Amino acid sequence: MEIVILLIKVFVVFNVIMGLASICTWVERKGSALIQDRIGANRAGAFVETDVFLLKPVAFVVRWLGILGVINTLLCDAVKAIFKEDFVPEGTSQFMHCLAPFMAVLPVFVSFAILPLAPDFEVMGYHIRPQLATIDAGVLFLLAMGSIAVYGVALAGWTGNNKFSLLGGLRASAQMISYELAMGLSIVSVIVMYGTLDLFEMVKAQSSVWGIFQSPTAWLSFIILFIVGMAETKRGPFDLPESESELVAGYFTEYSGMKFLVFWLGEFAEIALFSAIIVLLFFGGWNIPFVQLPEGAWWAALIGHLVLMTKIMFFCILQIVIRWTLPRFRYDQLMNLGWKILLPIAMVNLMIVAALKVF
Amino acid sequence: MTALFFLVALVLLISAVGVVASRNAIHSALFLVGNLMSVAVMFAMLNAHFLAVVQVIVYAGAIMVLVLFVLMLLNIKLENQPALGKLVIGLAGLGGLAFLWMMVPLLQRSFAAIPQSAVDVQGSVREVGKLLYTQYVFPFEAASLLIMAAVVGAVMLAKRRYRA
Repeated sequence: MEIVILLIKVFVVFNVIMGLASICTWVERKGSALIQDRIGANRAGAFVETDVFLLKPVAFVVRWLGILGVINTLLCDAVKAIFKEDFVPEGTSQFMHCLAPFMAVLPVFVSFAILPLAPDFEVMGYHIRPQLATIDAGVLFLLAMGSIAVYGVALAGWTGNNKFSLLGGLRASAQMISYELAMGLSIVSVIVMYGTLDLFEMVKAQSSVWGIFQSPTAWLSFIILFIVGMAETKRGPFDLPESESELVAGYFTEYSGMKFLVFWLGEFAEIALFSAIIVLLFFGGWNIPFVQLPEGAWWAALIGHLVLMTKIMFFCILQIVIRWTLPRFRYDQLMNLGWKILLPIAMVNLMIVAALKVF
Repeated sequence: MTALFFLVALVLLISAVGVVASRNAIHSALFLVGNLMSVAVMFAMLNAHFLAVVQVIVYAGAIMVLVLFVLMLLNIKLENQPALGKLVIGLAGLGGLAFLWMMVPLLQRSFAAIPQSAVDVQGSVREVGKLLYTQYVFPFEAASLLIMAAVVGAVMLAKRRYRA
């Protein structure tokens, strides 16, 4: 029975990742069109008709999905990518070239294993804690996974075997290393604030007051983590590693077909991951303000899960809107922001939080 | 658990040999990453979660990324590597044997100390923290001072050329 519960948890967590990533993909495609005053994908499936009476409602749904661009962005693009030529550049290790996309995605997927996705509940006599892996090091595991996420990108840049890829890979790794310091410090300040490493306990500590209001400087940690999250996903104003006006597409210049799509999947999963971390640390997780859900009921856990997903989607959409609104940084501005602004602020913030905790 | 241990041990040994045997410096570095990661898995299997995570953050995540970064920036080609002389190979072999001679008694002693079954330690991060800030506070601070001096020294050496 333990194995069955574990398998169900794996299934749920995997579907949460893929679901969030697909919704992000759709919001990115259709939302960017909205922001740029275009129409965006609206053709594939939009003219489906059927004469069979029973299939009429299905055709109606398909038509609307087509008009909204869901079929185009999620189904057609994936099928297209699968049947595209899988190109590997000459003079490079084919194995490494194939390995790189998966090394970029793996840390993001594994990170989801320690995120609690709903309050714990009892069902059929089993106490279920909706978190795949309960490890002692808790949040530190997220930092560890974040720090090995660099390899996929660096390898992708190197195995591209051309200057643009290599420059993109080097820029990406330099950027990720620089911003990880600020991320680590802001997460440490959160750990000090709650006095625990366990994400589950952190969310429980926010049942009456959200984390961002619990300490006078918690909003600083939140802002730092949000900025760092956008820099780590290499998007938004921080997309120098793949800046198309200078580097073609940066580290994934030489990738085509499904491998290219795997990079994209990793990017959207990472957006969802950072949104989830922010929601769990600062915005109460599954807690609804002024409403106490009964503990242990399965329906309360379901409502909590939906609340959590809604909050995560809010931050995903916020990141996508910022990405399509702000212009790109210059490289020195990027490094100055990371080292001379975010890092000192994070350090001072950590000291303030620690001092408030002690005195 | 035993099967997992042997699997990880196999990966660990293969990657350790790969570090030395591969001719491409970047492949070596990647093998070393694999090696450090499997050591982290070993720590995790002994329920030392904190140690495992720190191993990944510090070695696999920070140090090896910088090593890889430098290797890629320098773009070392295979033909640029000087062939090793017979004398160097001989001396290296001798050094390796001496190291093995030192390691054998140490290994014999430490096999006895390995816990046979992984004990369930609760709150090990808390315990490590308490020990670091009470009993071992002086070595801990001394180590941090040493690292600080190394960082300042590296910057000094790198910037000396640009001074007037």
